[in-house]
Amino acid sequence: MFDFLGPLLGRMHPLLVHLPIGILVFGILLCFFPQKEKNNLVPAARLAFLLGGIAAFGAGISGFLQYQFEGFVWEDVMIHLIAGVITAFGSLALYYQLRKSDAITQKTKISALALGLILTLTGHLGGTLTHGENYFAEVLPMELQTLLGFEIQPEKGPELAEENWENAELFTAVIQPIFNQNCKSCHNPRNKKGELDLTTMKGLLAGGEDGLVLTAGDPDHSELFSRLILPKEDDNHMPPAEKRQPSKEEIALIESWIKNGGTEKGTLAEAEIPRKLIEQFIVRNEIPFYPVNTIASISGDSLAALKASGFFAEAVESGSGLLKITCTNFPGFQDGDWAKLSPVKNRIAYLDLGGTKLSDALLDSIGLLPNLTVLKLSSTSISGESLNKLSQLPNLKLLYLNGTGVTLEQIQTLTPSKSLEKVFAYETPASAEFPNSGKLSFPFLLETGNYSLPKLPTDTIVY
Amino acid sequence: MKSLEKLFAELAVQKLQNQTRRHFLLDCVSKVGGLAMAPLLFGCEPGQISKTSSGLNLSERDLNPLAPLAPPFLGKAKSIIYLHMAGAPSQLELFDYKPELVKYHNQDCPESLLEGRKFAFIRGVPKMLGPQAKFEQHGQSGAWVSDYLPHFSKVVDEVAFLKAVHTDQFNHGPAQLFMQTGSPRLGRPSLGSWVTYGLGTENQNLPGFVVLTSGGKTPDAGKSVWGSGFLPSVYQGVQCRSKGDPVLYLEDPSGMSRDLKKNVISAINQANQEDFETFGDPEILSRINQYEMAYRMQIEVPEVMNINEEPANIHELYGTKPGEESFANNCLLARKLVEKGVRVVQLYDWGWDTHGTDHDGSIDMGLRNKCREIDRPMSALLLDLKQRGLLEETLVVWGGEFGRTPMQENREGKVQSFMGRDHHVDAFTMWMAGGGVKKGTSFGITDDFGFAGIDERVSVHDLHATILQLMGFDHEKFTYEFQGRPFRLTDVHGELIHSVLS
Repeated sequence: MFDFLGPLLGRMHPLLVHLPIGILVFGILLCFFPQKEKNNLVPAARLAFLLGGIAAFGAGISGFLQYQFEGFVWEDVMIHLIAGVITAFGSLALYYQLRKSDAITQKTKISALALGLILTLTGHLGGTLTHGENYFAEVLPMELQTLLGFEIQPEKGPELAEENWENAELFTAVIQPIFNQNCKSCHNPRNKKGELDLTTMKGLLAGGEDGLVLTAGDPDHSELFSRLILPKEDDNHMPPAEKRQPSKEEIALIESWIKNGGTEKGTLAEAEIPRKLIEQFIVRNEIPFYPVNTIASISGDSLAALKASGFFAEAVESGSGLLKITCTNFPGFQDGDWAKLSPVKNRIAYLDLGGTKLSDALLDSIGLLPNLTVLKLSSTSISGESLNKLSQLPNLKLLYLNGTGVTLEQIQTLTPSKSLEKVFAYETPASAEFPNSGKLSFPFLLETGNYSLPKLPTDTIVY
Repeated sequence: MKSLEKLFAELAVQKLQNQTRRHFLLDCVSKVGGLAMAPLLFGCEPGQISKTSSGLNLSERDLNPLAPLAPPFLGKAKSIIYLHMAGAPSQLELFDYKPELVKYHNQDCPESLLEGRKFAFIRGVPKMLGPQAKFEQHGQSGAWVSDYLPHFSKVVDEVAFLKAVHTDQFNHGPAQLFMQTGSPRLGRPSLGSWVTYGLGTENQNLPGFVVLTSGGKTPDAGKSVWGSGFLPSVYQGVQCRSKGDPVLYLEDPSGMSRDLKKNVISAINQANQEDFETFGDPEILSRINQYEMAYRMQIEVPEVMNINEEPANIHELYGTKPGEESFANNCLLARKLVEKGVRVVQLYDWGWDTHGTDHDGSIDMGLRNKCREIDRPMSALLLDLKQRGLLEETLVVWGGEFGRTPMQENREGKVQSFMGRDHHVDAFTMWMAGGGVKKGTSFGITDDFGFAGIDERVSVHDLHATILQLMGFDHEKFTYEFQGRPFRLTDVHGELIHSVLS
């Protein structure tokens, strides 16, 4: 019959906790209160700690009951409970201490301070349990949050895969994340502005204080949509003007979702969502152009040495260990100069030896560069005999052979390369052969050029 | 550069040795007061070279301002060729197909379009003017291009169109400045200067930023459109003549040997260095460098700027005629310069201001003539860059400073004898191609009149932000300290146009 007492008392925990907090804080303050006549506040402090201790025990018991009946997890409440018990015993200990001596000594003050700290901790942990981890941090400015070491993870919004996005669930993959990103901070179970919870389909259907927010099939009569398109100055515009505003694509997606029934079921393809609307949500895993590696950036001295030898040399991007080396101002480069590049062999990612005097023999050495991604050998006298040496380069993507002696047959020796994407062989024997070669195909794109624009009558008509 | 550095060091030592106690006392009198003034004046000093007791604190960049630098992040392009059609071509006759506008031809312009608007020349209620060109979709991308550009329509798959670009300046000068420097007023560095300042240039025998003009006139905004603004003047565009000697007085006069010239330049530089020692003005360093550069240019410029040696098929492709000042020649030169490691090549072609006041300014005749002049060369440029693999790392940008109205111009309220369009800021077309640009795309939609962008609008700042991104800069972080605050090309604006980035 009195079964309800336990849960009731448990639910009164958030109320009861304030009793010991108030009394104990009062007691602690008394210990530090400047006293004109010695020790005339001791009895008051003694009483405060006695009452506070008893109230703390009471609060502890109600707290334990709440833990029992309200489905809390032991891991979450453990420290809070232990700290609460320490608080209760601590206050009684202080009471005992004050009963023995009739003065507030330095020792009493330190104990009171310690009690104050453990009380604060207990209270804070309790608050965290009811309000959530980031209750305070949430309202702080972003900069301050980062400063305090909170990892801010703003809601990311929808994320769709490049492939197969059509089969993603419209509500789960797109609409709910949009709500999470734009509405959740004010419309969640803990913070239900306007009695509206937009974190679940259930909350969504329940509506808010002004009634339902979703009329399936009719966006204009669904406040979930109609409020979004009100002018920003309108008081009913959502989200509030100073908050993040959903993009026009996001609004359009919500509109199509409501038009399509506003349910949890259904894919993007079924709702006939055009790719344009979700373009911004597609996560592309971009493959970095240059190989990813851990080579530290080059020292200024080594770079200066390269420049002094005549090369143009610079990191491919600020802070990268990989180098771009060209012979723009070093047309006299020949095989013998290769030694100057050997200290940075592993760093060379972009190498332009165009217009220099290198010979076929050097391809042996070039073929060993582990990170070489772009190689330009245009306008050199290479015959292409040892071109196959380049096929073993693990990272070579672009190869420029314009104006050299390479033939189509020699270019074929590059076929084993797994990384090669484009080969440029304009103004070579190969460019003359290629158009007539018929079925020849390569795993990479072979650009042989020789483009022309037809002569048109309009070329000469003067109006 | 080594020798220059050594010379500086020597000078510094010598100067210290010559300093006596009397100099010191004199300096105390004159300079302590100056010290108090320095913070007040410093704001106007563009340089950041610090003077220390041991002389000057010079980095490699101070000695050689065009020394190459690594981009902050990996840029998809390393050079820019910017084709600016000065005068503003009509988007409605070239790329922005508006069949609806045909129906309204010669009808009064609806009041709603004119309300609260100012035009450069249109007064009262003008008539609408339907497109005067025939449009067709081309290539796999299905881009709309008119019959004014028959060659270009063959290469549209290489290009990304921006169809709803808008600006806020309706006069040529300010609009060109805005398009090139990010501000309609004088004093800001041009896009090319920013890029050259940020990346330096690869070929130390050529300027980093070259400007070529055609069409018989330079842009209305004058040389400020390739000026360096508050950046050291070494980063300004170097205008090369497209006819005759590309750079005046580059050839040695008869009787003047190269060695003699070298001696003269050394002597001048030495005098300049002494001045620099005294005043610390970085502009003097720029001057020293320009002398050095001019001397080095003597070797390479005549070769690069000479298009006579190009094979016949290339001349045929571009439609070039050596010896003339033409857009075609400039396009070919642009390719050659980029090939040689020039960072930015800026082409200005004058003659696109088609108001309909005369034959040349009519959109059905004069505009066609202008289109013929650029159609083959710019298409050829794209193809030539492509076949050499240069399109992989070169960004090509095409556009005017604004667009043209869907209305017939009625200057002074009178009916014109030719068909023409007024300046228009709300919507016009530009295109980009090459390094890092998504091929065969079109971004931006204008209304049925082509009057204003209704979706995917792009501002001039957005365009700049995107160009800088392609070159490896975050436009929000690429700044230069001047007058006490960091300046950006995009000031406080600009959003990346993601849809055209590959």
